[in-house]
Amino acid sequence: MVEANALDQTVDGRAQAIAGDPIALQVVWRRLIAIADEAAATLRRTSFSPTVRESNDFACVIFDAAGNAMAENTIGIPSFNMTLSRTLAHFLSIRPAGDWQDGDVGICNDPWLTSGHLPDITVVAPVFHQRRLVGWTGSVAHQADLGGIGWAADARDVFEEGIRIPPLLFMKAGVVVPEVDQFLRANSRLPDQVLGDIAAQVAAGDAAGRGLRDLLRREAIADLAPVSHAVCERSERAMRRAISGIPDGDYQAAIDLDGTGEEDIHLALKISKRGEELLLDYTGTSPEVGRALNVVTNYTVAYSCYPLKCALDPGTPRNEGSYRPIHVQAPEGCILNPRFPAPVNARQLVGHCLSALIYKALAPVLGDRILAESGSAPTLRVVITGRREDRRRYGAILFINGGMGARARRDGLSATCFPSSVICGSMEIIETQAPLRIWRKELATDSGGAGQFRGGLGQDVELELTTAEPATLSLFVERMQHPALGALGGGAGAPSRVAWNGRESGFPLKGRSRMQGGDRLVVRYPGGGGFGDPRERDRAAVRADLEAGRISARTAGEEYGL
Amino acid sequence: MMQFLAGADVGGTFTDIVQYDTTSGTLALHKLLTTPDDPRRAIIDGLAAMPARAGLVVHGTTLVTNALIERRGVKTGLITTEGYRDVLEIGSELRYDSFDLQIERPEPLVERRLRLTVRERLGADGEAVLPLDEAGMRVAARALRDAGVQSIAIAFFNAYRNPAHEQQAQRIVEDECPGIAVCTSSGIAPEIREFERFSTCLANAYISPIANRYLLELERSLAVPLFVMLSDGGITTARAATAQPIALVESGPAAGTMGAAFLARQAGWDDVIAFDMGGTTAKLSLIHGGQPHRTHELEVARLARFKKGSGLPLRLPAIELIEIGAGGGSIAAVDELGLLGVGPRSAGAVPGPACYGAGGEDPTVTDADLLRGYLSPDRFLGGRMRLDRRRAEAAIARLGRRLDLDTVATADGIARVVDNNMATAARVHIAEAGTDPLRYRMVAFGGAGPVHAYELARLLDIREVIFPLGAGVASAIGMLVAPRSVELTRSLVVGLSRLDWDQAAAVLADLEEHGREVLRQGGVADAEISFETAADMRYAGQGFEVTVPLSAAAIASRDPAVLQRAFDSEYRARFARSLGGMPVELVSWRVRSIAPAPVSEIRFAGNALRQDPLIERRPAYFAEAGGFVDTPVYARAALRPDTRIEGPALIEEAESTAVVGPSADLRVDAFGNLTMHLKADPG
Repeated sequence: MVEANALDQTVDGRAQAIAGDPIALQVVWRRLIAIADEAAATLRRTSFSPTVRESNDFACVIFDAAGNAMAENTIGIPSFNMTLSRTLAHFLSIRPAGDWQDGDVGICNDPWLTSGHLPDITVVAPVFHQRRLVGWTGSVAHQADLGGIGWAADARDVFEEGIRIPPLLFMKAGVVVPEVDQFLRANSRLPDQVLGDIAAQVAAGDAAGRGLRDLLRREAIADLAPVSHAVCERSERAMRRAISGIPDGDYQAAIDLDGTGEEDIHLALKISKRGEELLLDYTGTSPEVGRALNVVTNYTVAYSCYPLKCALDPGTPRNEGSYRPIHVQAPEGCILNPRFPAPVNARQLVGHCLSALIYKALAPVLGDRILAESGSAPTLRVVITGRREDRRRYGAILFINGGMGARARRDGLSATCFPSSVICGSMEIIETQAPLRIWRKELATDSGGAGQFRGGLGQDVELELTTAEPATLSLFVERMQHPALGALGGGAGAPSRVAWNGRESGFPLKGRSRMQGGDRLVVRYPGGGGFGDPRERDRAAVRADLEAGRISARTAGEEYGL
Repeated sequence: MMQFLAGADVGGTFTDIVQYDTTSGTLALHKLLTTPDDPRRAIIDGLAAMPARAGLVVHGTTLVTNALIERRGVKTGLITTEGYRDVLEIGSELRYDSFDLQIERPEPLVERRLRLTVRERLGADGEAVLPLDEAGMRVAARALRDAGVQSIAIAFFNAYRNPAHEQQAQRIVEDECPGIAVCTSSGIAPEIREFERFSTCLANAYISPIANRYLLELERSLAVPLFVMLSDGGITTARAATAQPIALVESGPAAGTMGAAFLARQAGWDDVIAFDMGGTTAKLSLIHGGQPHRTHELEVARLARFKKGSGLPLRLPAIELIEIGAGGGSIAAVDELGLLGVGPRSAGAVPGPACYGAGGEDPTVTDADLLRGYLSPDRFLGGRMRLDRRRAEAAIARLGRRLDLDTVATADGIARVVDNNMATAARVHIAEAGTDPLRYRMVAFGGAGPVHAYELARLLDIREVIFPLGAGVASAIGMLVAPRSVELTRSLVVGLSRLDWDQAAAVLADLEEHGREVLRQGGVADAEISFETAADMRYAGQGFEVTVPLSAAAIASRDPAVLQRAFDSEYRARFARSLGGMPVELVSWRVRSIAPAPVSEIRFAGNALRQDPLIERRPAYFAEAGGFVDTPVYARAALRPDTRIEGPALIEEAESTAVVGPSADLRVDAFGNLTMHLKADPG
């Protein structure tokens, strides 16, 4: 998406001058990021579903007229920011830029064109200034319900998973297309929340459009292209500089996941570093599976690039240029590039693990900048939906997280989401929204992998369904047989564990079950891996962990040699 | 009422004392150096230097916020519900920086071994699911006592809905641990969301012994009634403040905003942005109808000062303000991308900007302002400090060479970047408040505020800026003009259609009675007290609450439709749309009990100095005029009412210099306020 559209050919001397000026470019660049943040603030404030508002499961990006991402909101979901560029490119390939008018809003949730599963709706809209197309706005938000089996990992194909919205217009010239609105309402269990959140996405786009127009007016420029090229180029240069610090060579790694229960999952990666570029090749990875763990290319690319950005160049604002030196390939038909209509709803269970694979491959050369494996990758999710005795519908997603992997010189963060960026909302709020009693939510002793730097602690959560009515329980549980491994001599974090009324088997860990009133569920959210030899850990730190109950006396003796 | 009232603001460098004479309506000022080892000394000395003895003193303090930032609170223990030992350590689970893998979380104010649990449980409806285990409670209390804690926080799950278990637990702690401070989450912040409520309760426990000793000892040494400034801009008696000293956390900034709001209101301006730019940060707050915007959510003691999520969340009524890493001491440098960045790193007061000549080598905003001709090297801080132009030039030239820019272009660039940083933050803040910059005028104060107000106003399309007389002691003035007030809240999550009106009425009556009692203790007569009632409401399922002011008639109607309409209209005002028809639920009731401020009008000793106001002419840089322009410099103290000055001009006073750009003019009003009008931007 670097080809300029015809309008960009107009010479805009002032915009060119800004692009080359270290002061003016700073001012404009910061403003672009602030515009994305204003859009995000608008989306959050006006959204309906707790997923967006309390849990941060959304992102906003602004693009130039040619579709290059210029800036994104400061704290968004890392994958969304990247898949948005690709979704906009798909839109423009089927509906050329010249066919859009002011007030048009595009909508899409096709997993292969967007962020990899149906609940995420992508919204894009053009921005016009003085009747010229000057940019695009886009957002992705995790919606409350889009039909099908809901958010669950056990579908056999994507048609079971919900409705698929191909790239089409939700609004034309500022007016909602009634057929689209009705069609969406008719296919959601929570139509008001979904349409409310889409409206919030539209409002976010409007806010960003206003911000961009104000910027153009204030800077007296007609076009953002030169500025966009300049910011992308500087980010690209920063990434190239960071990559060039890695010795040329091939770096390989492989990891195994628990799999679907029917099929095992093996992930293989070779990173080839040449000069200023990286090629990530996933050849050797398992083929696509019959359940919803398949990861579309957009998501594979996004979660390949994100951990690299964190380790190599965390400080530079992210845009299209950041990823130009990074190339990702996965053979068609493998679990990281599945063919339509493979089921994909739980793609995060595999996609989040790419960070572990990448850091493992680069550990020999980037040891001081990587993480040990994280218990919070992939995110363990418990989703409970049903009706109360008075037939009112409820749904609760517990956005609780395990521990992050240890760093080269720091302990891992306990109960912290990585590589995703969701917020765990309040359990008191959950109890007002669903007939659940959350009896326990506490750090789990001994769950952080031992190491010179300890892995972040996971959590123990215990909950009870308090209504007499049965409910649907949907689990997304990984890391039961494959805990988060340590790095450079560090130990593994504690594995996941689920006990249902005391039983630890006989129900699907990646799928749905019927839950009865009074049922109790105990869930261990896994800990992060440790970093370095535990015997090298500072003795005072071991004693402090023991005193605080973060480790047991037994672990202190056996693992740390205290 | 007594004849003299005093306000005492203890700042980092200076302690400002103002004394108001109720018979003449005039104000006397005294500025003296702060005494950091014991801030009370400067207050007592300052009051003693006044011509008459004040019968009442109002005080604003940074003691609480500093104790949290520097972690100087007391050893504190927490007793909480079984299963929730780690609420404070787990926090939101979000990384506050998306890309930095090396971030740390703020350590909880209580270490894990001093966080004990007890068996008890309330449901979301407030009903007891498990009774409080009294024996276990006694064991926990004794264990904390034996561990040597000086303060105990009791924070139970769902206690926002019913304080019974926490109160029962408090009695046990008081019984087992005489002499140890104790507070409960339902007593301090009875709001839903366990992390935020526990955090507020714990912060209160952590600072209360220190804050309370300070307040009571100060009152004793003053030997007159002492009032203190609360975070929400109200004042209360020192004794009442000891019940919840965490409410003092934003005491200092709140006083500044109250003072700015008052000075603007006295000049006839109701909707203003208060812009206070000092040495390290700039603070912006919105004032509507003469009243500062309030919030109930704040975060203090951040690890990364300007990163949301890196600090301790608090739930309490506070004046809403944003803090930006932009001040006179903000350091300019070339960033990793080859661009010019300014702040948030600051040279502070020591070593300070390069031009202070105190060892600072880094170029700062103040150095740029000096080179642009905005500051006088000889008259800075009223001549108390000389600025070294050569050092400023050398520092900025070094930076310029790295950017391939000459010294003047670099100095101008520093100002442009810092002004835009502030404008950007202001726009996001205004957008979040759901309003529009065009609605506001600006009141500028702080050492660097009047220097940068002209450019900031241009960037925000604000047309009028006031430099009020008395801005140099705005915080101390804020203390005299603040109402005596207390805000109390109670969470009660329920759909409007299922609201139990008798229960609501009982809650409101209880909050009013409690508020009245607090004010009575401060010597307020019942007749002076009025109440403002509001409800936090939201669309059912939406987690974002909007505080909706409600009239007495609306509440008396007992009609859910009336509340729904009030909510719809407030929601529309903030978000430019409403979703009529969606069910609405009520989350919390709020009652603010208010008595009028002790002072409602201030006259400054008005006789202008009988001298020629024109001090000199010097070149000052204005990019819009193409470079340096020969600019007249006036002494503010010598300007007569009704004087009109065309820009460009510089107006000097001890605390700051007001810059009037080429596209503006300035008028002196009858009170001595300076009002700058910006001409419409042709762009």
